[in-house]
Amino acid sequence: MESKQMIRDFLENLFVQKKDTRPFADDTSLILGGRLDSIDTVELLLFLETTFGVRFASNGFQREKLDTLNAIVAIINA
Amino acid sequence: MSVQTSVLTDVSDVPVRLTRELPFRLIPRIETYPRLVSFCQTIPGQVVLLTVFGLIYARFNPNGIPLILCLAMLTWMPHKRHQLVTVSTLIFALLLPWNGIAHPLRYAGSIVAILAFCVTLIWSRTKWPQSWYGRNPATILIAGFSLWISAISLIPWHVFRMHMVWDLSIVFVGYIWYVAYILIDRNAESPRGMGLETGFLQPFWGAMYTPFPNGTAYLRQIEAKNPEQLAIIQLKGLKLLAWSTLILIFSNLFDLFCHGYLRIPDFALALSMSAQRTPLPWFVEWASLIVYFFEKVMGGAVLSHCIIACCRMAGFDALRNMYRPLSSTTVADFFNRYFFYYKELLVTFFFFPVFLKQSSRHPRLRMAVAIFAAACLGNSFFHFSRELVLIHNAGLWAAIRSFQAFFFYTAVLAVALIVSRLRRRKPLPTGFFRGTLCPAFSVCFFYCLLTVFAVVDHRFPLSVDLRFLGHLFFIG
Repeated sequence: MESKQMIRDFLENLFVQKKDTRPFADDTSLILGGRLDSIDTVELLLFLETTFGVRFASNGFQREKLDTLNAIVAIINA
Repeated sequence: MSVQTSVLTDVSDVPVRLTRELPFRLIPRIETYPRLVSFCQTIPGQVVLLTVFGLIYARFNPNGIPLILCLAMLTWMPHKRHQLVTVSTLIFALLLPWNGIAHPLRYAGSIVAILAFCVTLIWSRTKWPQSWYGRNPATILIAGFSLWISAISLIPWHVFRMHMVWDLSIVFVGYIWYVAYILIDRNAESPRGMGLETGFLQPFWGAMYTPFPNGTAYLRQIEAKNPEQLAIIQLKGLKLLAWSTLILIFSNLFDLFCHGYLRIPDFALALSMSAQRTPLPWFVEWASLIVYFFEKVMGGAVLSHCIIACCRMAGFDALRNMYRPLSSTTVADFFNRYFFYYKELLVTFFFFPVFLKQSSRHPRLRMAVAIFAAACLGNSFFHFSRELVLIHNAGLWAAIRSFQAFFFYTAVLAVALIVSRLRRRKPLPTGFFRGTLCPAFSVCFFYCLLTVFAVVDHRFPLSVDLRFLGHLFFIG
């Protein structure tokens, strides 16, 4: 499956657990816009680390860089 | 988890599921009435909205008129919002506290000095982003402040007649978490100007030690982009203030009924009697603890709803700080719903740095250590560092000793959060009683008991709180 779709599925599942049924676009602000709180961000970090092998410990973590689906895809493709 | 939404994408403030289940609302969703939203975009509508808000707000705060004037400026000049937030914040910081302060000039001087220091910290971070400080600004700020507290508590400043050192430190502690948020928000690739940043240093809509909301980057995302959004956000602010007022009225009636009619003593008195080895009957202690727990929840809701309501009136669609905490079904969920912005602070400044420093080979251990760092160490540091007056008067070690019950509280809370987060739970049973009421009751019962240790009045050692707890269960 394409990585972007995998991330989208993960985020949609996260939103469903939060009973947030609103759609989101590729450039919708998720963290700074308040739809993902800090605990959700941890879930997202773990998902990206285990699924795509992203090493945030060595690369540094800035919440702005995970704010949109497009930004997340850019990180895993970097 | 908290289920709050933003007006920028949806006007709903309540989950969709609940809107179907609860057709009746104590406070109607006025932000969804198209004609009202249109009216609130006109000058007469804005005047009415601000007047109604001001009349309700005046019940809470003597600064109602200056606040409404600031909100009016922000409503009528939205294109200058960032600058006006700064102007309003400076008015509230420098001009309004002059009534009732013994040395207003000295106080204003301290504020100006600290604001200048904060701006310098932010400017340095922007100027040298690749320096050691530029790469770890929040960590260095927090570590530096810890060292500073230790240093000033060991030096006898009164000998050198340098009381100003303490005065400035006490003022600065009120700003530290605001600065920390601004510093990490400057991580954005293209840092903006200082307009909103200066206004966020204890913003005029209400400042506690915990910033409401969390950071200027977030504020920029949630600000109204057009007149319609502004009207909707302001109506949500008015609605939240009305909700806050209802809770306040209920809280006062609750107090009157419990303490006046039922004559349940204050928790402080019950604890005091226990400390003097003349405890009240066990059922009275239970009653005073339960009443205190609910008072604390309602008091927190009134205050935080009021702050967020003012923030929304300023044009920022901030999430609520407290959201139905008594319906939480896990310990972690309660912590998230009870004080959302404080939890965000702990996660941002303590959880993430520890979490990211560890190897991902042991994910559960990694999570546990990071939760402990935030809920125990960060939580303790946050509360201890703001008690500079106590440290000044009693000395560092005596102050640490007086915090032993609170340190115990944070340790137990951290363990509970770790267990809540890591245990493999089965799906909750269906049905209101087993699926909702029982788990919610268990969580509230846990936090109610933990409240015994969360009183930060430094009067009693841990043994007194433990004795009180034992007496609740017929021990001792």
